[in-house]
Amino acid sequence: MLVLQVLVNGILLGGLYGIMAIGMSLIYGVLRIVNIAHGALIMLGAYITFWTFTLWGWDPFLSLPVTILLLFAVGYLVQRCILNLIVRAALYLTLLITFGIEVVMVNLARIAWTSDLRQTAPAYVAANFSVGGLTIPYVRLWVFATTVVLSVLFLLLMERTRLGRAIRATAQELRAARLTGIPVGQIFAVTFGLGAALAGAAGAMWGVLFPITPILGRALTLKSFVVAVLGGLGTMMGAIVGGLVLGLAEAFTATFIGPTYPNAISFGLLVLILIVRPTGVLGRGEGR
Amino acid sequence: MKRRSCWWLASMVLAVAAILAGGIAAGAAEEIVLGAAVSQTGNYAREGKFYVDAYQITIDAINRAGGVKVGGKAYKLALKLYDDQSDPNLSVRLYTRLVTSDRVNFLLGPYSSGITIPASAVAEKNEIPMVQGGGASGKIFDRGYKYIFGTLPKAEFYLQAAVEVAVKLNPPVKTAALLYSNEAFDRSVGEGTRQWLKEHKIEKVYDEEYQPATQDFTSILAVIKSKNPDLILMAGHEQGCLNFIRQAQAADVNPKMWVFTVGPPTADFRKTLGKAAEHVYGITPWLEEMEIGGEIFRSAGEFGKQFHERFGYEADYHVASGAADVLIYKFAIEKANSLDPKKVRDAIASLDVETMYGRVKFEPTGQIAMGQVLIQVQDGKVVPIYVGGKFVAKPVYPMPKWSQRK
Repeated sequence: MLVLQVLVNGILLGGLYGIMAIGMSLIYGVLRIVNIAHGALIMLGAYITFWTFTLWGWDPFLSLPVTILLLFAVGYLVQRCILNLIVRAALYLTLLITFGIEVVMVNLARIAWTSDLRQTAPAYVAANFSVGGLTIPYVRLWVFATTVVLSVLFLLLMERTRLGRAIRATAQELRAARLTGIPVGQIFAVTFGLGAALAGAAGAMWGVLFPITPILGRALTLKSFVVAVLGGLGTMMGAIVGGLVLGLAEAFTATFIGPTYPNAISFGLLVLILIVRPTGVLGRGEGR
Repeated sequence: MKRRSCWWLASMVLAVAAILAGGIAAGAAEEIVLGAAVSQTGNYAREGKFYVDAYQITIDAINRAGGVKVGGKAYKLALKLYDDQSDPNLSVRLYTRLVTSDRVNFLLGPYSSGITIPASAVAEKNEIPMVQGGGASGKIFDRGYKYIFGTLPKAEFYLQAAVEVAVKLNPPVKTAALLYSNEAFDRSVGEGTRQWLKEHKIEKVYDEEYQPATQDFTSILAVIKSKNPDLILMAGHEQGCLNFIRQAQAADVNPKMWVFTVGPPTADFRKTLGKAAEHVYGITPWLEEMEIGGEIFRSAGEFGKQFHERFGYEADYHVASGAADVLIYKFAIEKANSLDPKKVRDAIASLDVETMYGRVKFEPTGQIAMGQVLIQVQDGKVVPIYVGGKFVAKPVYPMPKWSQRK
């Protein structure tokens, strides 16, 4: 019974981890940028949802499209204006600039909204239902359902549309993509925008489950990175798989070994994967 | 650039700097500077703000009332503040800077025992008093240090009243779950609480530590729920306790009583949780309604009112404790009639004065001797339930289940 409850908890949260990581994986795959500011984008999504809920009463799930569009715009502009300078540049440059962006975003958030704890708490935030001895909070279920929907939409975008094909082409072989006429600069911006949009959606949902502060993103950047690497940096499905793996690992560790161990296990898994299968669970060994 | 012009430029810059420094030093001769590194960002930013605001309002009030009198001269108090970003290592570096580079007169404390423990070592090493109101763990005071003083009552005793009350209720509490954060204060509370549970013969069905930055308590709650304890005791800081309660509601965990070490007396906590904060128990050494007072702030109520007017939120015991720290310096410096750190230190140690925080008198270890009030949140208000071994109000017990609440 406890096992089943833990399993459910792990899967529900794992889906959210997956969505957080897809953006990071995508950005790395196409732009070869390890986005240290990923957590800050998540944080921004959480705040946008919080304010639209608090000021205008917009339901956090219904305001998702708005959050997604806003974050897409932010990501697009950040890429066009700043990150364009360092696409495919040396790794340390990308780390440095995205780190700088993170610091600026977090501190702007702190000045604008203070470090007060916020939470998007619609009336149904604690509602739950029981089935077969398991207690499942509605919000966690809806968050999971949303992550499934977003993942499916994202995969459809990647596999079935011209834009998706262009993005994948750019990720696979930049020169060939240029040669076939793909506007690579534009693709980079759109990709970062997409990654930011997904991070924003993750943040919106995070803010319903957990308190929001300007620094909420810092630990999440790390988690997204672990998830993305677990699943295979650069693969999209991999992020989902990685998220579920991490969610389950954390839940089981916290319950059966002890609440202080989940981080140790998460990073232990990361080290293990890097040793055993560095391309991640779903990554292909393409030697890139 | 030619070598010669470089040297010439450098010496000009140095000369100007020396003149400026001398000017600044001369201008500061009439001030007593209190230095502090407080968490303005990071994990403890919420609580850190309470102290920053408390220090400021008290310093301003003392200055308005004529400042601090030493040797017939009136000095103004000034505050030199840094942000330790909730990082103990940074705190040590900042306090070292305050002492060696900024050369402040005395030190005020940071927030949280975990940061106060290393920070106080800097004070001790440099033989400058530090009066802090944010660290309650006995571990701060059992190192035989002479220069550290604290205005929060001992952490190990925080939950004693709650456990005492639990066995006096009807039906009495038989089983308890103990959860505490892996941080100095919370571990101290955990240690003490284990003892109280044993003394009162309450069966401990869960006893676990969690990482301070934990956001997700669902796994912990799943296990606690499966053990179905009558009482849940949680030692954590505000954010952790808040998360726990929210998620306990979502997971439908229904103890008969639950107590949290930080949060319930604080307005922000109750506001964020809304109805979910009902029936939660907490502990505080100070309430605005208490009939206590002293110099500068004639009563707790007057202090609370002034604070609320200036900063827009209600003062809680963190604020009062921080304010008391500044008041302590005024009284001690005037008692010693000197700015010599050793003399002031001795004056603090022998202080026995009534303030708007209560009676300030330190144990030989340096920690204040002060009782706590067990409170319960009823209708969004903080209601004292148990003080000095006696009930002063009836608690709502057992807590109605989530499904039965309106």
